Formats: sequence, structure tokens, C-alpha cells
Amino acid sequence: MKEYILDTTRDIHGLYPHVHIWGFPIAAYLFLGGLAAGILLFATIYYLKGKADDMPFTVKIAPIFTFIIIMLGLVLLVFDLHHKLYVFKLFTTFRIESPMSWGAWTLVGVSIFSLMWPLSYIDDIEKYLHERGWKRLDVVTIFIRNLEHNWLIPRFMIMFFRKHRTFFAYILLVLSIILGIYTGILLSAFNAHPLWNNPILGPLFLTSGISTGSAFVMWLSNNKKERRLMSTIDMALIAIELFFIIHMIMGLQAGPEAFKLAGGLFLGGPFTVTFWVLFVGFGLVLPFILEAFELKGHHIPPALPAILVLIGGLLFRIIMVQAGQVSEYPF
Amino acid sequence: MAIEVNKCVGCADCVVACQIENNVPLGYSRDWIMEHVTGTYPVLSMHFESQRCNHCDDTPCVRTCPTGASFVAEGGIVKVTHNDCIGCGACIEACPYDARYFHPDGYVDKCTFCDHRVAEGLDPACVSVCPTTCMHFGDLDNPDSEISKLIKSRENFTLIPEAGTAPQIFYLK
Repeated sequence: MKEYILDTTRDIHGLYPHVHIWGFPIAAYLFLGGLAAGILLFATIYYLKGKADDMPFTVKIAPIFTFIIIMLGLVLLVFDLHHKLYVFKLFTTFRIESPMSWGAWTLVGVSIFSLMWPLSYIDDIEKYLHERGWKRLDVVTIFIRNLEHNWLIPRFMIMFFRKHRTFFAYILLVLSIILGIYTGILLSAFNAHPLWNNPILGPLFLTSGISTGSAFVMWLSNNKKERRLMSTIDMALIAIELFFIIHMIMGLQAGPEAFKLAGGLFLGGPFTVTFWVLFVGFGLVLPFILEAFELKGHHIPPALPAILVLIGGLLFRIIMVQAGQVSEYPF
Repeated sequence: MAIEVNKCVGCADCVVACQIENNVPLGYSRDWIMEHVTGTYPVLSMHFESQRCNHCDDTPCVRTCPTGASFVAEGGIVKVTHNDCIGCGACIEACPYDARYFHPDGYVDKCTFCDHRVAEGLDPACVSVCPTTCMHFGDLDNPDSEISKLIKSRENFTLIPEAGTAPQIFYLK
């Protein structure tokens, strides 16, 4: 006789004692989405301000990475689905109430336009890379060049993108803001988790995403003026982020019981050290101080604050995804 | 649905009946028993709640579903179309009652109030097997139905009303 044990209490993996169905892939995807949004935001804003030639890396080169970043994020996202083969169902419908649905459609838009943007600058990119001696990347530009000359369509498309670049810039600007906010709103739509379900999370994620975008540009740019500007912007963004964090914790502490418990996760709870020391300390305050010293003329490698901000951004999302799932309504 | 908390002895017949009726895979359950102990020793009191999807009026799970796989069927039963579900987990995160889970086949699964039985005029499996008859099932939209009268006549509570989901399972004190 075969014996089966029937479960009469809840012991479902991932649900007990806390919901734990989203892990690193989702956090990493939210980080990559915010990063891509930040890079595109700066590229389009400075293009529209007519500073494309003053800030070549921000406007022309950095957006090359966005397509790769978004594709990586999408791979992580699909990897995390449990019913992977049905992923196309996302695109057979649009549900205005579901942030995930808009996110899916926004990502389609962003990935298409973020491919067009660098293509419209293909000549400048080639020149830039050549000047900087990044010869290995020539392979890519030569490949695209060959496509252009062998087939008429790519050339036609590139000319079309170039002609309507301002139009694309406006579209990308709007899409990048939606993408940046959406990564935060995605979490705040879940009213089962009081930590996520707070209205400041959207702006906080947007600010953090733009901050990682500026850090990325600051890290890889060779132009001193550009780096200084990005460093200043990043400092302002970090200050706003700190303000939002204090605002969030205060709001949670002033709320009903479930919200107090959620805030308590960072005030003596299991996430206190990771949040305040690793994220706020090493991911926000330390890079802020380093950037301030750098602007005052002290020699600090620009990669250091930039990498700290990037790691901090990723860590922030990991903490929020984990802590949010721990915070629940008691019943 | 209405559940008389004081009649429930926590035998978990409802859980087993559901697992058998709906062929729920081993290690998973669509309903479960929650044991509440209050007071300080030696003055203690205990009651049991048989919990499941509350088939809320204001459904966060249906709202957050990106594909429309989660939907409210006619009559107010919240269901999932398995072949529309991509297994993203949004509804699981949205449910304050943790009533949904990933089926080992990938899609999200949950209590259906045994709608196949209800369509035939039968009670859901959990209700039909309850040895203390503490569970009652019926149409809450009809003010003259037995269950509507029962809920009106007895003091009752719902689970996590503060989440704003307007749950449709009433626990009678």
C-alpha cells in the first residue's frame, strides 16, 4: 500500500511563512529598467537642449548600452516566469489597471526606440570610438556599415531616424519617464504588502534609477566637463533620494499598524543593517561625499562613486523586493 | 460563504475534501485551517478559521493581472484561465490572504468555490463534507437567500478588511 500524507495546514513553498516568490531576477530587472530609463532620460534631455556635441558620451554613446541593458532585463524577467511558454499572452492584451501590462508594452517601445537612437548616430559613434582607440568595437560599426551599403533598407532607415531625431527624442523622453516610474509603481500596486503600497515608492525608484543612469555616464565618459556635470546632478539626486527615504520611513511610522510593522523592518528589524549601512551608507552617503570632494578638486577616481551608486541601486531594489514580501497584514 | 467560527473544530475535512475534489497536487492546498489562540495562561481561548480565497468584491489580483487570466466570473467567483496565465506572480503578491500559489505546471491556481459543483446546484466540496456543518454557501446578492439572512442576523467579521478588498467570506461569531 502506498501512503500519502495530506497537508491540512499551509506549507506551500514560497508562501509560508512569508510570500517569497520574487527574488534576485526581479530586483535585477527593476535595477536594469531604472538604469536604462536614467541613461535615456539624460540622452534625450541634453539632445533636446541642443547639447549633443558638448556631451557626446551622454547623448550619442551611452544609449548604445540601453538596448543591451533592456534585453538583459527582459531575459531575467522571462526567466522568472513560471509559465514561460505563455509569455506572448502579455502582448495579446492591454490592461490599463495592471502596471505590469503597461510595463510590458513600454518595454517594447523603449527597446525599439533605443535601438533606433544609436543607429541614427552611427557615424558619430564610429568616429568617437575611433578617436578613443576602442578599435575592438570597430567590428560592430563596420558590420552595420556593411549592412548599410549592401542593402538599401538600413541606409534608408538610418536616414529616416536621423531626419526625425527630435521626434524620437520626445517619444524616448516620455517612454523613459514611464519606464522609470513604472518600476516603482509596479511594486506599489500590490496592496497586500504595506511596505510597497506607499505612494513615495514610485518617485523614489525614479530618482534612484536616474541616479544610477548619471553614475553610469559619469563612470564611462572620457569628457571631463560631462563628468563634472553628471557628478553634480548625481549629488542632487542622492540628496532627493535621502529626503524620499526619510519621508517614506516617517510615512510608514505614522500609518496604521501594518505600515508601522513594515517601517519596523528598517528600524530594528531584519533589514536594518543592510538598508542603513550598506545601501544608505555605502550606496548614497559615501558616493555623495566622494563626489563632493572630487568637485572641490581632490583627486578621486570617478569610477569609485559611480560603482558605489550602481551597487547601491541594485542593493536597494533587492532589499525592497525582499522586505516588501516579508511585510504583510497580520491576520 | 459564511463560516461559524464557534462550531469549527479544526478537523481539516474541508482541506482534504478540496484536495480530492479538485485534484490539488500533493504538498499544495487551496484552503487551510488557521488556529487562533488568545489570552494569557491559564485563561486561554482558541478558535479555528477555515480560510481560502475570499472571492473579494474589489479584487487586487484581477486588477494587477497583466494578461487578464485572472477574472471575476458571473456570480462573483474569482477564477484563473490557466492558458492565459504567464506565471508572473503579480496576483500572488497582490493577495493579502496568500490564497494563490504556483501550480507545479507553472500557472497560478486557487479556490474556485467548486464552481463545477455549484453549477449543478451542489455546495462546494469543503462545505458539503463539514461534520459540524459550520460552513454555509449561497448567493449573497439575493437578500432573501438563507445565507444573506444568516449573515444579517449574526455578528460577523471578515479577514483583513483594512486591505480594502471587500472579502466575501463572513466569519460568524
